[in-house]
Amino acid sequence: MPVAASAIYFLNLRGDVLINRLYRDDVGGNMVDAFRMHIMQTKELGTCPVRQIGGCSFFYMRISNVYIVIVVSSNANVACAFKFVVEAVALFKSYFGGAFDEDAIRNNFVLIYELLDEIMDFGYPQNLSPEILKLYITQEGVRSPFSSKPADKPVPNATLQVTGAVGWRREGLVYKKNEVFLDIVESVNLLMSSKGNVLRCDVTGKILMKCFLSGMPDLKLGLNDKIGLEKESQLKSRPAKSGKTIELDDVTFHQCVNLTRFNSEKTVSFVPPDGEFELMKYRITEGVNLPFRVLPTIKELGRTRMEVNVKVKSVFGAKMFALGVVIKIPVPKQTAKTSFQVSTGRAKYNASIDCLVWKIRKFPGQTEPTMSAEVELISTMAEKKSWTRPPIQMEFQVPMFTASGLRVRFLKVWEKSGYNTVEWVRYITKAGSYEIRC
Amino acid sequence: MPRPSHPSRFPSSPSPSPSQPSGKGEVSDLKLQLRQLAGSRAPGTDDSKRDLFKKVISYMTVGIDVSSLFSEMVMCSATADIVLKKMCYLYVGNYAKVNPDLALLTINFLQKDCKDDDPMIRGLALRSLCSLRVANLVEYLVGPLGLGLKDANGYVRMVAVIGVLKLYHISASTCVDADFPTMLKHLMLNDPDSQVVANCLTALQEIWSAEATNSEEASKEREALLSKPVIYYLLNRLKEFNEWAQCTMLDMVAKYVPSDSNEIFDIMNLLEDRLQHANGAVVLGTVKVFLQLTLSMTDVHQQVYERIKAPLLTLTSSGSPEQSYAVLSHLHLLVMRAPILFASDYKHFYCQYNEPSYVKKLKLEMLTAVANASNTYEIVTELCEYAANVDIPIARESIRAVGKIALQQYDVNAIVDRLLQFLEMEKDYVTAEALVLVKDLLRKYPQWSHDCIAVVGNISSKNVQEPKAKAALIWMLGEYAQDMTDAPYVLESLVENWDEEHSSEVRLHLLTAVMKCFFRRAPEMQKTLGAALAAGLSDFHQDVHDRALFYYRLLKYDVATAERVVNPPKQAVSVFADTQSNEVKDRIFDEFNSLSVVYQKPSYMFIDKEHRGVFEFSEELGNLSIGVESADNIVAAQIVGATDNDLLLSTEEKEESTVSSSNGSAYSAPLYGGSSLASSLSQSELAVSSSITPANPSPTGLSLDDLLGLVSSPAPAPSSSPPSLKLNPKAAMDPATFQQKWRQLPISLSQEFFVNPQGLVALMTPQILLRHMQGQSIHCAASGGQAPNFKFFFFAQKAEEPSMYLVECVINSSSSKAQVKIKADDKSTAEAFLAMFQSALSTFGMP
Repeated sequence: MPVAASAIYFLNLRGDVLINRLYRDDVGGNMVDAFRMHIMQTKELGTCPVRQIGGCSFFYMRISNVYIVIVVSSNANVACAFKFVVEAVALFKSYFGGAFDEDAIRNNFVLIYELLDEIMDFGYPQNLSPEILKLYITQEGVRSPFSSKPADKPVPNATLQVTGAVGWRREGLVYKKNEVFLDIVESVNLLMSSKGNVLRCDVTGKILMKCFLSGMPDLKLGLNDKIGLEKESQLKSRPAKSGKTIELDDVTFHQCVNLTRFNSEKTVSFVPPDGEFELMKYRITEGVNLPFRVLPTIKELGRTRMEVNVKVKSVFGAKMFALGVVIKIPVPKQTAKTSFQVSTGRAKYNASIDCLVWKIRKFPGQTEPTMSAEVELISTMAEKKSWTRPPIQMEFQVPMFTASGLRVRFLKVWEKSGYNTVEWVRYITKAGSYEIRC
Repeated sequence: MPRPSHPSRFPSSPSPSPSQPSGKGEVSDLKLQLRQLAGSRAPGTDDSKRDLFKKVISYMTVGIDVSSLFSEMVMCSATADIVLKKMCYLYVGNYAKVNPDLALLTINFLQKDCKDDDPMIRGLALRSLCSLRVANLVEYLVGPLGLGLKDANGYVRMVAVIGVLKLYHISASTCVDADFPTMLKHLMLNDPDSQVVANCLTALQEIWSAEATNSEEASKEREALLSKPVIYYLLNRLKEFNEWAQCTMLDMVAKYVPSDSNEIFDIMNLLEDRLQHANGAVVLGTVKVFLQLTLSMTDVHQQVYERIKAPLLTLTSSGSPEQSYAVLSHLHLLVMRAPILFASDYKHFYCQYNEPSYVKKLKLEMLTAVANASNTYEIVTELCEYAANVDIPIARESIRAVGKIALQQYDVNAIVDRLLQFLEMEKDYVTAEALVLVKDLLRKYPQWSHDCIAVVGNISSKNVQEPKAKAALIWMLGEYAQDMTDAPYVLESLVENWDEEHSSEVRLHLLTAVMKCFFRRAPEMQKTLGAALAAGLSDFHQDVHDRALFYYRLLKYDVATAERVVNPPKQAVSVFADTQSNEVKDRIFDEFNSLSVVYQKPSYMFIDKEHRGVFEFSEELGNLSIGVESADNIVAAQIVGATDNDLLLSTEEKEESTVSSSNGSAYSAPLYGGSSLASSLSQSELAVSSSITPANPSPTGLSLDDLLGLVSSPAPAPSSSPPSLKLNPKAAMDPATFQQKWRQLPISLSQEFFVNPQGLVALMTPQILLRHMQGQSIHCAASGGQAPNFKFFFFAQKAEEPSMYLVECVINSSSSKAQVKIKADDKSTAEAFLAMFQSALSTFGMP
């Protein structure tokens, strides 16, 4: 059985119950107390998201300042339970329009109860798609749309849509201007050793899509991935064009994508939901273009002084530039005084995270700014060598650049009315966990 | 350490804060206002009702009892406002169970709503009607449910299907008598709405699993769910279903047994695209199907591993840490099963600096498992980085991981260097962990002693505080006394500070090390040995005292014999014990994609019996070893002790038993067996060296009396227990009858109590317990389990009466607690029987 949740609770950080929904009678009513006693008030909190207390298992997640707790008494499917929580939160967010936190819950608790009733019945997940739920869960208080129509018309089977095959798109949408926005967002993860060797490096990317299209359009997306191109040249019996191709390690798609066709023809074809959604996710480990190289030299001069020199090289095209670059260089806790020299940007010492923080708002390609700092430490009698250096961390965004080299080759929209569409494509690469040991 | 709770902080015991009214004043105020609104038809009534209802619901949420408003809420429920209706339904569902009489009031309006024109309202009303959970109202459910299942609207049918399941849980017989399961089956195979089909499936699985034990027919139906036509029908419709329903189905498909390999490949081809699904649970469900289907085809099974690797690795690096933890746990299981297949993916298991420690811990274990000749160097280099981690438990864990790799791998040379570097890092916990590892390493690779000892010799014993590490250091001082010039003097200073050493484990090691050192460097050690023995003899800890006395007498008897006993030539340890049996691992694997994998134990070890369907229980009973006959033979052959006249065991033997009890599962040989000096001597050295890393060091303050269990024995001796109940010593019952009876009877009594330490020691061979209990006319139906959890099913019969007692007894040897559940034909004597059972158990293991 997938989940069979006995109860679901929303608690704030103090442990006050914000929402409590009991689905099955097989757990006692004091489950919240058990959670507070054995998890919230102990050091256990945060050590493991799955805990067993008595005969029950607790799955909990913290989302902003709220704990969401699922209690089960059976041997439940953990992955399913966590995914359910994540999806439920996404659903609530789409209803509240933005933040999900304690205040939002307090302001909307009736709505949340209503939704909890629909998305889970007797502990089994039902339909969580915001598109569909919004058809009949509103706070308007009017009768549901399919009954408010005159009675002589046959009641349209809206719930078939609720649960049926093309569950993600309504029929009869009309837009004056048919537009599609594609955002390719990559986050690049790096772990570099102190000797400058790349220990681990990968890119996780996602293609976000915003559709404002009329009717029931069929879309087809072409990327410069190797397998797709090879397949295409096979089908058209034409040699593959030269040019950069990339190899995707793994891809996952939104439920709207026809996976059978992807497997046989290697094309991404789909009927998109209306509005914003995540079309696909992918992961790449080979041939990653790192946008930045960090070259640190840190010298400890005796017990009370340190010299930090950091050079950062941008290795993307000279016409491009990165935004919001932040480089955090950890220093010991007993740092007393710092002085900086930077060739660009601003640097300061942030005592709350024990780091030298160097910020560069606009960082052009093919440049290598430097920062040098002198750090004075309070001398302590405590054990020497007590400081082990955490890695340097970096944040950045590089528009119009993909670390994987992924490019959209085409996006075809086909609809029976044959309208013209405008397609917009953007690329951006962000830092995931970009760590350089020093 | 858990902080004391502050009840006033929590709303369950209401506190006077502005947002949370405490008094009854507010509730009665609400009551009044609701009453005024109940009959009103003025415009805007609904709006004021909404505000009031909201207040009621928010009180209910924070735990204030608003059940007294029940009748007013019902009166106000006559409204066309759907939001109001929903709030009212929620309220009613919450309080109907405690107000069964008032719940009757709601039946009327709910039944009326079930016939509303609006399918939404029909569905909602039906859902609420089934959520009342009041047993004497079930008759009102049957009609609306029957109509609901036939409703033209999919939404109503979907709700009705789950409603049937709810009805089954309130009153199984009503549900079955109304023939609902058959209707669900029909719907499952014919309904156009996929959610209706999915709900039918979940409901039927639950119902038939629970019914299967009572009726042959139901168990056939349960089988039929897994039959080829049903599975194929579902597989063909799979893509219509939403992600959650797909999870349910994939779980079912995993249980299906295809007839030939063509079928297997067909199913896998059909499901392959599910590995690309965005929902991790669907991917894991598919992985399970693939793994289960190919279990018997080794080659394909291996290809499956290759195929599922990429999707699983993607899942681990996306989503919240909790989600990736769930996936990592499964990956962990697979890596442990086939480490070689993941050897080239080791970089995926590198930890990121900011990852939570539960993720890091799993990754460390996987890194350890996949280490092989080609990647050991990189892995160990990476692990060494973590040794400097701010998260100290993780740092320790990584050092241990390095050690484990050293003990299992080839490139020992490089690893030894690293370990020695740890020793020079001058961080307390790093040094401590490294010392323990170097000690283990030397036990396996004595040839490295030269390099290691040089470094270990430089460590000042003053910088080592942790008992385990100190014990390891002392062990090395004794073992390699001839290579360490300082050894006698270090030991001397340790002996001088005898009184400041709080850990008995360290003192025990010190005694042995001094002895060993003495045999090699007698002139330098003679004085220290005397001091150590004197200190040991006056030590308040029984073990230390006994060992000192034993050494003293041994030396007096003959020094050469003493050397043979204390310092015999040792063989390198070659194999290390695996903690989990293959059987347990396989069971966890069978329960892939469930909590078992996260907890790393099969479900029967953590799911409470009372919450489960009866079916699983009987299955488990079948897997336990049945009968005591075979056990008896082993017991008779091995066990001499545990009879009454053994009350005066010699002190050496006592020490044996306590030392070994702290060794956990290190022994399988009988411990009470050896009463001759020779055998206890040869075990002595074994016990000493293997108690270097004991699981539970015996508490320092334990006196001799405690060890014998004479003072703190929790239960009265058997002679003093009330002899009101006599048991038939020759009671007999076959396991099948037991199983049936266990199902039928309710639990009469359940209790938890402590088992004495002797009992726990003897429990290493559980058969002794069975024999012991048989001596008290309590017989065993089945037993099973692994340390630390043992489980027994006992039965006993009242003398000269057919009345039976059934017992489920779970003994946890690490918490030394026994949990007992008793079911009895004659409940009035259950109490007396429990007393008897308890006293029988309390004398177990006592001489």
